[in-house]
Amino acid sequence: MIRGSLLLVGFYAAFILMACARKEQPSEPLSNAEIEGQWLYDTHCAECHENPQPDLHKQPPNLHGLFLRKSLPSGVPAEDEQVRETIIEGRGTMPAFDRRLREEDVKDLVKYLRKLK
Amino acid sequence: MHSEKPQCPFNVVGAIGLVLLLAASVGCNRTKKYPLQGEVVAKNTATNEITVKHGDIPGFMPAMAMPYRVKDPAVVQELQPGDKIAAEVVLGKDQSDYWLEDVRITDESARGQAKPPAAPHMLMPGERVPDVALINQDGRTIHLSDFAGKALLVTFIYTRCPMPNFCPRLSSQFARIHDELKRNPEDYSKTHLLTISFDPKYDTPAVLRKYGLAYLDGDQSGFSHWDFASTNPGDLARVAQAFGLQYEEEDNQISHNMSIVLIAPDGTVAKFWSTDWTWTELMESTQHAAHVTAQDRGK
Repeated sequence: MIRGSLLLVGFYAAFILMACARKEQPSEPLSNAEIEGQWLYDTHCAECHENPQPDLHKQPPNLHGLFLRKSLPSGVPAEDEQVRETIIEGRGTMPAFDRRLREEDVKDLVKYLRKLK
Repeated sequence: MHSEKPQCPFNVVGAIGLVLLLAASVGCNRTKKYPLQGEVVAKNTATNEITVKHGDIPGFMPAMAMPYRVKDPAVVQELQPGDKIAAEVVLGKDQSDYWLEDVRITDESARGQAKPPAAPHMLMPGERVPDVALINQDGRTIHLSDFAGKALLVTFIYTRCPMPNFCPRLSSQFARIHDELKRNPEDYSKTHLLTISFDPKYDTPAVLRKYGLAYLDGDQSGFSHWDFASTNPGDLARVAQAFGLQYEEEDNQISHNMSIVLIAPDGTVAKFWSTDWTWTELMESTQHAAHVTAQDRGK
């Protein structure tokens, strides 16, 4: 009986690990703007950049640690303005978010991307 | 704007709960579920679909009104426009299919007050398509009749569509079809692809050209076989009605369904698709239509 319960608890722990491994969250506390950016990321970006569909023409790049590199996946410098421009205008098969995200939304999103390690 | 983020389940609620959770965990790699709350705007009992206006669904899609398939026809029968519902959006294992499960009516006091959109009159296979004028990625006027003698595969997108299961998927799969048809010069010369934007205000020829080149890997010669075009709102409405396309713009976000139509070389509709299709099925049907005469189709 106890062995069976332990087995169940073991399975349960494995389930929790699987569920929590879904997305790595920033370890540092987030500012209000970054929390807003996190929401925007989860709503508008995560579907493609966290779990890209294998049948898309180009695989969207993983954005974790985006600002830890010298350049963005497109080759341009990893700077706020370049990321902002990519979000607004799109790049390659990535759709433009022009007129759908407000300027302050994009700023919050970029702030969160800086925290996404 | 905020809602609760997904939490890890730390409460042990007994062995039965554990077994259920285990069953759910086995399915984690296969399907995903997202909670939805919204209002039924319309229903279609023929296709078992309801159109729901809902808020943001983090990880799935932003707030919008869009059609969802419901597996249980009895649920669609029971629901009425105006009903507030809670449900789970289930994203299939290959992430190309989605549907609603566990649909619950949370408020039916506004039942019948919502104004359902008029059901579009779709052409039937064999009927002649309207010959609308379109402006392509080069700013040139083209007509559907320009492709007479070829099998023409048409779909609808808007370039700012952020949902990978919709326009990006359509264009990605059209790119595969384009590449595959190119391998056979005879197929290539007897077929054509056409992507029509339903966002003509934003999707100018320059925007469509940039969009098309992304899916053609920068090869401009691909435009000779795959046009990206838009049209005026009036003709767009005509084509949409004829091809079963539904779209509605709100706050620069366009809710829409998927519509793919294969036009035979004689200018009549050969086949329609909406949600249930694969790129190989589309390509093989296009190849087949290119080589089959109207007389053969009548047999």
